[in-house]
Amino acid sequence: MWAGLAFVLLILFGMPIGFAIGLAGVVGLIDMGGTQFLSIGPSKIFNGLNIFPFLAMPFFILAGEIMNGIGITNRLVKLAQVLVGRFRGGLAHTNMLASVFFAGLTGSATADAAAFGRTLVPAMVKEGYKRDYACAVTAAGSIIGPTIPPSGLMVVYGSLMGVSIAGLFAAGILPGLVICLVCMTVIVIGGNRENLPKAARGATLKEVWSTFVSSLTALAMPIIILGGILGGVVTPTEAASIAVAYAVFIGVFVYRTLKLKAFYQMLVRTARITGVIFVIIAFAGILGWWMSFERIPQLIAENVLSLSDNRYAVIAIIIGLLLLVGMVMDITAILIILAPVLVPLTEQVGLEPIHAGIIFVLALNISLMTPPVGACLFVLSSVTGEKLERISIKLMPFLIAEISILFIFAFWEDAALLLPRFLGFAN
Amino acid sequence: AGGTIKFGHDNKTDPFENPAHACTAVFSNLVQAGTNGSVNVEVFGSNQLGSAAEHVQQVRDGLIQATLTSTGALASYYPRIDVLNLPFAFAGNEATYKVFDGDFGKALAADIEASLGDVVVLGFPDTGGFFAVTNSQKPIANLEDFEGIRIRTMTLPSHQTIIQALGAEAYPLSWGEVYSGLQTGVIDGQMNPVPIISFANFSEVQKYLTLTNHLFSPYTFMINRAFYEGLSDEERATLHAAAENCVTASRGLSRIIESSERGLAGLMDAMEVTALDDAQREAMAAATQPAFEGHVNENLDEKAVELLTLFKAEVAKANAETYLD
Amino acid sequence: MQTWARLASARINTITEAVVALLMLLLVLDVWLGVVDRYYFHWQLPWPEVMARYLMIWAAMLAISCGIARREHIGLTAFLNLWPKPFQRTVLVVMDLLALSLFVYVLWFGLSFAHSGASRQAMIFGLSLEPFYAAIPVSAALCSVQLALVLVRDLGTHLEFPTEEEAV
Ligand code: NA
Ligand code: NA
Repeated sequence: MWAGLAFVLLILFGMPIGFAIGLAGVVGLIDMGGTQFLSIGPSKIFNGLNIFPFLAMPFFILAGEIMNGIGITNRLVKLAQVLVGRFRGGLAHTNMLASVFFAGLTGSATADAAAFGRTLVPAMVKEGYKRDYACAVTAAGSIIGPTIPPSGLMVVYGSLMGVSIAGLFAAGILPGLVICLVCMTVIVIGGNRENLPKAARGATLKEVWSTFVSSLTALAMPIIILGGILGGVVTPTEAASIAVAYAVFIGVFVYRTLKLKAFYQMLVRTARITGVIFVIIAFAGILGWWMSFERIPQLIAENVLSLSDNRYAVIAIIIGLLLLVGMVMDITAILIILAPVLVPLTEQVGLEPIHAGIIFVLALNISLMTPPVGACLFVLSSVTGEKLERISIKLMPFLIAEISILFIFAFWEDAALLLPRFLGFAN
Repeated sequence: AGGTIKFGHDNKTDPFENPAHACTAVFSNLVQAGTNGSVNVEVFGSNQLGSAAEHVQQVRDGLIQATLTSTGALASYYPRIDVLNLPFAFAGNEATYKVFDGDFGKALAADIEASLGDVVVLGFPDTGGFFAVTNSQKPIANLEDFEGIRIRTMTLPSHQTIIQALGAEAYPLSWGEVYSGLQTGVIDGQMNPVPIISFANFSEVQKYLTLTNHLFSPYTFMINRAFYEGLSDEERATLHAAAENCVTASRGLSRIIESSERGLAGLMDAMEVTALDDAQREAMAAATQPAFEGHVNENLDEKAVELLTLFKAEVAKANAETYLD
Repeated sequence: MQTWARLASARINTITEAVVALLMLLLVLDVWLGVVDRYYFHWQLPWPEVMARYLMIWAAMLAISCGIARREHIGLTAFLNLWPKPFQRTVLVVMDLLALSLFVYVLWFGLSFAHSGASRQAMIFGLSLEPFYAAIPVSAALCSVQLALVLVRDLGTHLEFPTEEEAV
């Protein structure tokens, strides 16, 4: 338990989170067997990053950088303003809605957080939103990305546990839309307290039209990405590279605002942001290896689950466990380590495999934005410069709302399996 | 003497779900019982300790003691394992048993041990049987049908060579993107053993399955040499006997899974399944084997060519034998 | 001494960032090539997928040191801000030293890790894995140097006087 103690102390005293995870892992290795296991470190770092789908992160960050730099973002924001700007918190609502559209393009929450953190957050700040609030809205919306298909996590879950991936995709649509609606309600309720801005007057039809025309090139972007994926040109990971290609094309040939020097800066900044995120994933590999070797996740699971065998109690305990471990561990690692331990228990209490799957996926997606270890928080914090704890505080109401949604879908089987049953994936 | 074998593999931890864990479960039980607990076995499945290739390094470094590794994962440490990719070699599963338990298996094990220096090979368990090809375009019943089909392969030059020799196109794609790649049509098809095709739900996104049986790719069961040499003669004998049963269990479960709902029987409900006739298999062998041998001559060393010659001879012998005859 | 550390850190970082930018550019071109090949040229190149992963690792690992030079790696500050300034500075110097020890550890074991790659094949261009594994010790060395330099540069004052943020 020295590793746990080291982690808590280092985090409290301001050690960057990635480094704290790395040091805790090294403490764990030494605790395990002196110097015997220390040689594993570099290999875990390298192999933890040696995963092709991770490419989506730097590419969507870069696409966001270019979109900002050449002015695509501004045009989109202007359009959102003339459409919903007259309502209080119009851009916050736009952010949520945009997450739903974006969800059809990407399977990853971090890609969503990176793209919107670079584009919509600055736009919201310019409009008068507090930066921490803008980040919180973006984080809350980002998990719609891997909830509505395509979803990288569902693919991993499906192939790991032998559950129909198409069935999981179908099961994700409804919760994804509900998350959007409920978060928009949270924005409305908090609108006065947060003093969210709104435009003084509504736009005229003529203004709407001219703004629409001037943002056509920007609006085409998601269509091109989606077309690229659905048309079989690119994989979901490669789609991020199409986003980059399109942004470069617009910047060089249409707007003619992309300059070589600025492009250089964009590449450097993208790499730095990626480095900040990847150092956490890399060092989490060492800590994860130590935890697996000492069978810590299984130990926790066995102890907690010896408490009850009631269906609802078991579901609640599993969710609690996932959210708890999700606070300090990378979600892919959790999935790989805990799913084989916990899923058999869901079978024992009679849960449909797809239902169990969607509970796992939702709980892990929510863990992406719970501190101290939450990939979406890291991405937002590093792309916007906002402090992690300030985002976390503003995120609280959204987090409570999303956890409630998770429990509703976990306890109410008919709702969770509505679409999978309709499409013939579940009984 | 004695000690604990930490045994890592990259499959699900249910002995009735996959051959790897069936194998480790049998091994673990027989070793612990047979040594009266002086040798203990702890199994870490589901990639908990890393990828298959990382497991090999961890065994070599003595961080863990044993692993089952795929030929793809072993290739970077031991390139000559590539000779096993000789396409359309085996006439049936029983021939694979004879070849890997016989003179070729021994020669391969000895060569792996000599090349790596720090491991002992205990056997070649079944991964789930022969490779089949699935695609979304058309039923593939003969060589000409491969024309223009874009097939996903691992990043393994020999697999690309084989697919190209069949007249299809070969594109390496990361495993995590294969399902969505097949779904949207980034690629038309892929190749894998039947249980993996079933388990990865490819029947949801692929219409046609052809039982090409063109590749057989066993696990290599390896154990850390220093640990092995630290055991008593009696304990080593128990380990070898347990390993043999582990291999047998993997084969039995592979055949059962193939013929269950989780294998071919299940896939036949969801896909159009085509078996090849002998003439077509021969045509495909004639198209691919020279290309494969060219690949081996060009990219691997003299020792690999020798190993391939032995492999071909042993396979021919095994193919000609008849059960109980 | 502090001025010298500031200059040295900035100069090393400028060079690192140029290398990182080049790697990022190659990464983008590599993935584009993979797509265009599959969709248009049909060369069936075996290397873009592998190359993309290795370029990504090299770029991201090197960029960690850039993040250190600019103090961009995120930590929690709420608890630390409750304490008086001299204590805070001491703690932050200790944290820098601990982080330095972490990267020295990665450097030390990373050297033998990279060397172990020499006997392993990368499956592309007939290369071994050594040049790719080398990303770990090289970046750990750079991170160690940058940590030592920014430790001297800031002496625990970086919470009070944050490095200038780029405009968001
Ligand atoms: Na999605
Ligand atoms: Na979390």
